[in-house]
Amino acid sequence: MTSDLSRRHLLQLMGLGTGAAALASVAPGLAWAQTKDTVTIAWPTDVPTWDPNQRTFPDGQALFKLIFEQPIMQDPKLNFVPGLFTEWTTSEDGLSLGFKLREGVKFHDGSPLTNRDIRFNWFDRVKESLSGGNKLDAANTWKNIQDIELDGDYAGTFRFGAPITTAVPWLAFMANYVVPEAYIKSVGIEQFRSKPIGTGPYKLAEYQVNSRMVFERNEDYWGEKPAIKTVVVNIIKDPSARAAAMQSGQADLTVNIPVRETERLGKVPGLVSELNPIQRVVLIQLRSDLATADQNLRLALHHAIDKQALSKAFYGGGAVPLSVPAPPGTAGDVPGFVFPYDPEKSKALLAASGYGPGKPATLKMAATNGHFPSDFDIARALVGMWKKVGIEVELETIEYAKYFELNRGGQLPELTLYSWENATGDPEIFTGYLLNPKMPFSPWRGEQPGDQIAKLFVETNTEKRLAGYRELNRFAVEMGATIPLLQSVQTLVRKDNLNYLKFGNGWVLAQTMTWG
Amino acid sequence: MFATLLSLFLRRLAVAVPTLFVVSALLFIVLRLLPVDPAAMSLPPNATNDELAAMRSTMGLDKSLVTQFLIWLGQILGGDFGNSIQYRLPVWQLIGDALPATIELALLSMVVATIVGLAGGLAAFYFRDGAGEAVLDLGSVVILSLPDFLWALLLMLVLGVWLNALPFMLRLDPGIERPVITGFLLIDTLLTGRLDAFASALKHMVLPVLALGISAAPSIMRVLRSSLLDVYQEDYIHQARLRGLSERQVLLRHGLKNAILPTLSLMGVQFGFLFGGTLLVEVIFSYPGMGNLMIDSIRNVDLPVIQIVGLTYCVMVLLISTVVDALHLVLNPKLRAR
Repeated sequence: MTSDLSRRHLLQLMGLGTGAAALASVAPGLAWAQTKDTVTIAWPTDVPTWDPNQRTFPDGQALFKLIFEQPIMQDPKLNFVPGLFTEWTTSEDGLSLGFKLREGVKFHDGSPLTNRDIRFNWFDRVKESLSGGNKLDAANTWKNIQDIELDGDYAGTFRFGAPITTAVPWLAFMANYVVPEAYIKSVGIEQFRSKPIGTGPYKLAEYQVNSRMVFERNEDYWGEKPAIKTVVVNIIKDPSARAAAMQSGQADLTVNIPVRETERLGKVPGLVSELNPIQRVVLIQLRSDLATADQNLRLALHHAIDKQALSKAFYGGGAVPLSVPAPPGTAGDVPGFVFPYDPEKSKALLAASGYGPGKPATLKMAATNGHFPSDFDIARALVGMWKKVGIEVELETIEYAKYFELNRGGQLPELTLYSWENATGDPEIFTGYLLNPKMPFSPWRGEQPGDQIAKLFVETNTEKRLAGYRELNRFAVEMGATIPLLQSVQTLVRKDNLNYLKFGNGWVLAQTMTWG
Repeated sequence: MFATLLSLFLRRLAVAVPTLFVVSALLFIVLRLLPVDPAAMSLPPNATNDELAAMRSTMGLDKSLVTQFLIWLGQILGGDFGNSIQYRLPVWQLIGDALPATIELALLSMVVATIVGLAGGLAAFYFRDGAGEAVLDLGSVVILSLPDFLWALLLMLVLGVWLNALPFMLRLDPGIERPVITGFLLIDTLLTGRLDAFASALKHMVLPVLALGISAAPSIMRVLRSSLLDVYQEDYIHQARLRGLSERQVLLRHGLKNAILPTLSLMGVQFGFLFGGTLLVEVIFSYPGMGNLMIDSIRNVDLPVIQIVGLTYCVMVLLISTVVDALHLVLNPKLRAR
């Protein structure tokens, strides 16, 4: 008897399941019906945390900028423009930065923004991080801060113990957002990370880790209110799935899909595709020891690379070949300087170091697979180019997350294919970091160009500093301390009636979007 | 009946404790043997060596492997699952978000697998020795020869992209707010009376559920058919016919009742596999469950999450096997009599 009842229950459950499946299938085509009040973005990555100052995470900036704001902002041409600071001045000695704060700005909980929030973010939190408390990636940048003097509620002065020559770019860069002191002290940092608030044009209405975020327009925003009321960001990590979402109409915009897919989707009616050069460079980081201690070998590696062919093969020709580690048009670029593709010269340099057909140079190279578009394919193409001149390179895959750990432990191979993003364009945050032996980004430990970088770090005259970096960039390439490859491109596909403001650094900001 | 079930649960619990201990030890040791430093991963890139050493000490990484394991075990038993290195969130919170989604996916997929498998098994038996059986056989071989993730891609391409008939991303339409009560989306949408959200959630589940369910169905179909063939050799089937029962009555009252037991055992095993099979299917459909969490954690070498997700899979398989055994007890009087 009991078994009969159980079976009956089982069958009833099956019936429910069938009914549910039937119900689901009767309304196809409605899944992605939406109004012009909403935009759905298929985004490749989640944020690592909703504390925007904790991690320097380029791919999360467009998401952070919906909720949070910065003291200084950048316009589409990447000029520094007033953000929450309406004015700022730096002293000639680089030891202070005065500011006036925008009045009438409110956090999403209705509390006013004052200069105490600025002190909390750039003094209290930095000191806490440096003394072993809650770690902030950018704390080291501000390690020389001595105080932030407050003047009334809306003005103040940063005081530095040693010059911070890039204070202004950093106030517009990653991990430098204004978060509310009173709210964090009231609810605690953990709760803040779960329910973050800022002063930005959108409020976070819903968040499911690794899945979906919903932002609702901040109706009390101090600036121009966004045209679109609701922004839905679906985290879709697989590039093919993002492409499929665009093709089926389930997303309105996506980024970072393979170039071939981008070109294909551009031909689909109703979609537009773009290849936008951004402030990200693809380069090879070298060690100053092991086999690459030999300058001839380093230069031979560089001369053997056909960068134009790489751009054509992997970025549809849209990625600009680089001769220095700075994108064209930025302050660190050296117009007119071209490091030539010259396989014969490469062979001659190898011969000068005793390498030849019977004795190839052998090296190892690490590369990520999927960290930036076509990374591993580029690495394989490089191995092929080097083989043609007599350099045998063994390729190994590493996770991007492990780069710093391997570098810190001296475990990176001679070469690492790497990409570096610097939305500000300042050359210190390109070469000054990438080749600085005292920083964790560079496997290069040689005295030069490290000594030159150290001098430029304290050069307070902006013109001299930028000229110094241009000179340094050329020098570093000619000595083979770095092998710049390409200015990276961002692939973007959108519905043709969805417009957005294009930024030179690749930011895709929902607050600038409108439906046509 | 209750005493029998209680005895079963106690016996299973006695087995589960050492099983979980061994699995957790294996997971811990294997992950610690990886060339990865959890302390370095949890610090900013510009952390100094002193900070790194301090973090190693805080995390107990300067102690022996056994001591580290015992500390970790103690924390787990005390309910402290640690924090995700990547997300800076408690691991229990991540699991709490992901597990209900995977349970819903696995259960619905099992329902589909059961319906298709039982219907296919009955049809194959009914059409035995005829062209129908050959067609069903061929169909099951074709289905079996494609793994679930390929079905996922195929369904996405055909029903999602080409025919544009069903959504294949995440769990809800863009304009629909997600209610959160129990964490089980289908249940929560019903509890809040949000039928629009329920329909949306269900619609989003059709493709992943079909991909997993279709792959699991052929095995059920084949075992049921074989069991029925065996059962039909038994005397009680002939006696039932002699008593004047129709073929349909013989099948439903005697044949299926006895043939279902081995099928049920297989379904238990299948459900375990299906739970594990959610890994790739979830990634393909960007479905926010345990599989997606696991892949993401592996990609980011988020050791605390990998460990707990691994343990959760183990707990789920133990639970499933216990429930299947309990069902056996309920359905099979012979087992209760032992």
